[in-house]
Amino acid sequence: MSASMAYAGLWRTCRMLLPRHHVLSPAAIRTQSSASGDLMPWTSLSRPPWPEQPSPYSAEEEQSRHAAVVSTVNQRINLRDFGRLFAVVHFAGRQWKVTGEDLILIENHIEAECGERIRMEKVLLVGAEDFTLIGRPLLGKELVRVEATVIEKTESWPKVHMRFWKRHRFQRKRIIIQPQTVLRINGIELAPRLT
Amino acid sequence: MTSRGTPSRFLRSVLQNGVGRYVCQLKRISIVFSKKAQSSLGARDFIEEGVVDYANKNPGTVVYVSPQPCRVPKIVAEYLNGNVREETITSKTSQQISELLTKLTNQSGLEIIRIRKPFHTDSPSIQGLWHPFTNRPLSIGPIRGFSMHDF
Repeated sequence: MSASMAYAGLWRTCRMLLPRHHVLSPAAIRTQSSASGDLMPWTSLSRPPWPEQPSPYSAEEEQSRHAAVVSTVNQRINLRDFGRLFAVVHFAGRQWKVTGEDLILIENHIEAECGERIRMEKVLLVGAEDFTLIGRPLLGKELVRVEATVIEKTESWPKVHMRFWKRHRFQRKRIIIQPQTVLRINGIELAPRLT
Repeated sequence: MTSRGTPSRFLRSVLQNGVGRYVCQLKRISIVFSKKAQSSLGARDFIEEGVVDYANKNPGTVVYVSPQPCRVPKIVAEYLNGNVREETITSKTSQQISELLTKLTNQSGLEIIRIRKPFHTDSPSIQGLWHPFTNRPLSIGPIRGFSMHDF
């Protein structure tokens, strides 16, 4: 788990593998990746398209700044000083960006009756207006709690699945009706304890 | 006639069902069947055995049973938002009729047409919508005071 402000931490693999002070030339990295299997292959997305600027702070200053950020975020969470929370939740094979009181349609059957409350456990990211908590890849279950209610279990509209080959006298038509479930996200809770 | 030729709607719920407590959207069920015809056999069996349990399990739904001289037995379901759905139960067994009833109970009364998006939010943005100036450092300095000799 790591706390980060809005713009840091996108080029994670690059940051961890390449040291900050000197930039390896692309040719050197390519030869390195063929020799040792540890480095990621070099692609057009391996480094950001803007020129890399060396950080004006030394390592200790950076650490102290990071510690200050973490303590501010912890304080905000302890005082419950945040407004609306949103979360990115992995559910039914997809990732959804979810807030309280919003609706989600799942294209399959869920083993819960209408009106039952469900807890979604795979939470990847939680954000408020001023801070975001990013999981690696998931956040802890004692940290976030995302609850939902099953509202409706219907069937989809009759979808037409037709196959047609021209000049071959081949056509097949099939009507597909899938079970659907509608969930209402009741709320997202953040625990006042961050490790 | 697909997506573009048929009507479509956005995902929604009736009166924010689920935010507070969940309310079953089925208001009334009328089972119209015949006392003598062969096609209403399953309906008659269901009314003998399953209807009372169903009515007890769903206390918020009113069940009407009306034997009429009719050729086609049907179930008329009315929902809280006013929509009415009719399903024919000709030559269905009692088991099939009870499954159909659970399906109708779990539905809300909104139309079964194409749903455009599988999600719906009332507050789509919490940290502010992105515009091209978010997270860009300023390229010019702060605006200085106006002085005459700049011209």
